Amino acid sequence: MFYRLSGIHHTGYESARRLWPVPADRWQVGAVLVLALAAPFLVSNLYLGSYILPWLIWSAAALSLSLLMGLAGQLHFGYAAVMAIGAYTSIHLSQAGVPFALSLLGAGVVSALIGTVFGAAALRVKGLYLVMATLAMQYLVDWVIVNVPAISGGAQATLRTPTVTFLGLPVETLTQRYYLALAWAVLLTLFFMNVKRTSFGRALIAIRDKDFAAAVIGVDPFRYKLMAFLTSSFVGGVTGAILAFCYYRAVTPEQFSFNVSIQLVAMVLVGGLGSAIGGFLGAGFVLLLPIILTNVIADLGSSGWIDISRNLMSHLPLIFYGAMIIGFLLFEPLGLAKIYDNIRKYFLVWPFRHSRS
Amino acid sequence: MKFLAKLGITAALAFGPAAASAQEEPIKFGLLQDFTAVYTFVSGEYNQGQQDYLTLVNEEGGIDGRMFEAIVRDTGNEPQRGIEAYNRAREEGAILFDFLSTPVSRAVVDRAMQDEVVLITPLHGRGDAAAGQTFPYVFPVMATYWSQAAILADYINQNQGGLEGKKIALVHIDSPFGREPTPILEDLAEQEGFEFRAFGYASPGNEQSAVWSEVRRYRPDAVFIWGAGGGQSVSVREAIRNGISAENIYSVVWLAETDAQNVGAEAMTGVKRYEAVATGTDTPIVSRIMDTVIEPGLGAGDRANVGSSYYNIGVATMAVAVEAARLALENGDGPLDGTALKEGFESIENFDAEGLMPPITITPEDHQGGGYGRVAQWNGEEWEPVSDWTTAYQDVVQSEIDAGAAEYSGGN
Repeated sequence: MFYRLSGIHHTGYESARRLWPVPADRWQVGAVLVLALAAPFLVSNLYLGSYILPWLIWSAAALSLSLLMGLAGQLHFGYAAVMAIGAYTSIHLSQAGVPFALSLLGAGVVSALIGTVFGAAALRVKGLYLVMATLAMQYLVDWVIVNVPAISGGAQATLRTPTVTFLGLPVETLTQRYYLALAWAVLLTLFFMNVKRTSFGRALIAIRDKDFAAAVIGVDPFRYKLMAFLTSSFVGGVTGAILAFCYYRAVTPEQFSFNVSIQLVAMVLVGGLGSAIGGFLGAGFVLLLPIILTNVIADLGSSGWIDISRNLMSHLPLIFYGAMIIGFLLFEPLGLAKIYDNIRKYFLVWPFRHSRS
Repeated sequence: MKFLAKLGITAALAFGPAAASAQEEPIKFGLLQDFTAVYTFVSGEYNQGQQDYLTLVNEEGGIDGRMFEAIVRDTGNEPQRGIEAYNRAREEGAILFDFLSTPVSRAVVDRAMQDEVVLITPLHGRGDAAAGQTFPYVFPVMATYWSQAAILADYINQNQGGLEGKKIALVHIDSPFGREPTPILEDLAEQEGFEFRAFGYASPGNEQSAVWSEVRRYRPDAVFIWGAGGGQSVSVREAIRNGISAENIYSVVWLAETDAQNVGAEAMTGVKRYEAVATGTDTPIVSRIMDTVIEPGLGAGDRANVGSSYYNIGVATMAVAVEAARLALENGDGPLDGTALKEGFESIENFDAEGLMPPITITPEDHQGGGYGRVAQWNGEEWEPVSDWTTAYQDVVQSEIDAGAAEYSGGN
């Protein structure tokens, strides 16, 4: 009833391979997009600047990482370092007078190069050992940024983003920065969903499932593993630059610390590996839930509903947050994307009970 | 009273803007700090001191009948949460912010200056924010790390037979904060003719044995330890183990009673630190807090913390902020907004919070307040001041501030 399937016949590969073959899905995506475009006029600056904008950018970051972890199956625990390289490269390029669009590309290229060098470890090691290799990247990049004042920006280790224009459009006010971030998130989402339909994407999935089996059927693991790191690091670097220019506007090493890498991994896992909507849901969960819980509990506390010590009040959100992560993963180990999928499938055949898959 | 306050807040929540537009709106301070991640060793006591002092002011009738309200939120030391909390508190009408977190403060500096609200950065944040012309809305209020290093060096110069020919080691956490005193000490080494070398240990500093055996080989006459949190007691312990006598250990402001208990109160006897405010409950303000706030049960936390080093620092920061608000209300006739409060700060003259802190004078050029402090020594039970309130080598500090501010104006 909600997802009308009757009368939809795919008579060619073109229509059967569409991103959203069911019209109801297309309507939903369209509605979300319209809401996203209208957001600056619908919500206050507080919610636009502190919730929706960072959510979009972190979703883009989660998608970039999901490309590597979800599709190619290569664990990466140093992804914040990839984004840091992008952020610092773009700022230094812009300060040197390079147009912003080009410095975004430059950020991607430098991140891709350095990310691929470390990704080369993936050619020899897998699983937990790869985690160690990528962790080394995190700490090496952190160390270099902190210890080379020319990169970190002098004694105070803070670099401010210069005023820039993107292809002639100014990137200054909150609304302008929001639209740039939205454009990048949309572009990246489309790219992510389309990669899954290409031979490149299928090769990555083959390697994820069993790399030597992939080699047997003619997928070169050497080439595709490096390409996975290259692609993912490129988009990760651009996302880092977008994060610096559209959100923080002043970059310090702590913004790309090890914790951020862990948060990104958590976003991908909680959201659902290799899923586009999972990237958005996971980023929303990990990024926004602690903030919302903190505010709710603080409001309850200040209105006198709960009378507890300041210390417990600060830690209660963490307790709930941890419990929710465990709860969601117990309820559905494949992540929030799978929960969404279950709900969608339920309504796909509603009022009947069983769907085919 | 407490019941009435609760009722008031509930009403404010229920009626929203209607109640908020009332004539005698409280003056709101956003104390958005890290209670759960990195700075937990200090923010609990520090924030308790801040809240208790605001309660004391309110109990004594406020300033001209205007009450103060603290908006307290946890930021978890994460810039994105800090930015959210900042934006939210600003919508609620806060005109002064204190994050007590270097990453969050750095992320908010530009925003605060654009929004024209006051950001106080006592004992954290950018050292060059003392340059009032470049950072009109940022107030370090207390001695920056640069001034602290200068005061410690000056103490050795005055009391330990001069600096000339000495070897001084700086053992610091390997972060921008840990490196901060390096340029000052390098300049002073040249000026005063001593030898200086910096040794960094990896964050968070639970394991420092490798760097200390290097320090031992260097055979320093004095060691400055520059870290925060758990790393500090590890530093003291390793220094003593490597044969550096406790008398020759000098610490940044972040060394408190708890660290002494962790090292062993007896073993730490003789260690010196920079001190920004007096500790204990003997000063008039803290004893009034004891009588008016703690005794009736209005305190914000554990009463055992009252009078501890970090608690008193919190009290002092709010004492300065309330003084600034008082001056702003006295001088200005318009509404008390960020700009008025900033001018209030800049007209603070010789304010010492009734002996709790050194007398500070803040001017439009100098937002640090002169860079005062003193050296205190652990005597086995408590911190005992061994010098008067003083300031040292401000010419060297100023040149560093100017260089940093010029760099900021240039884009960084």
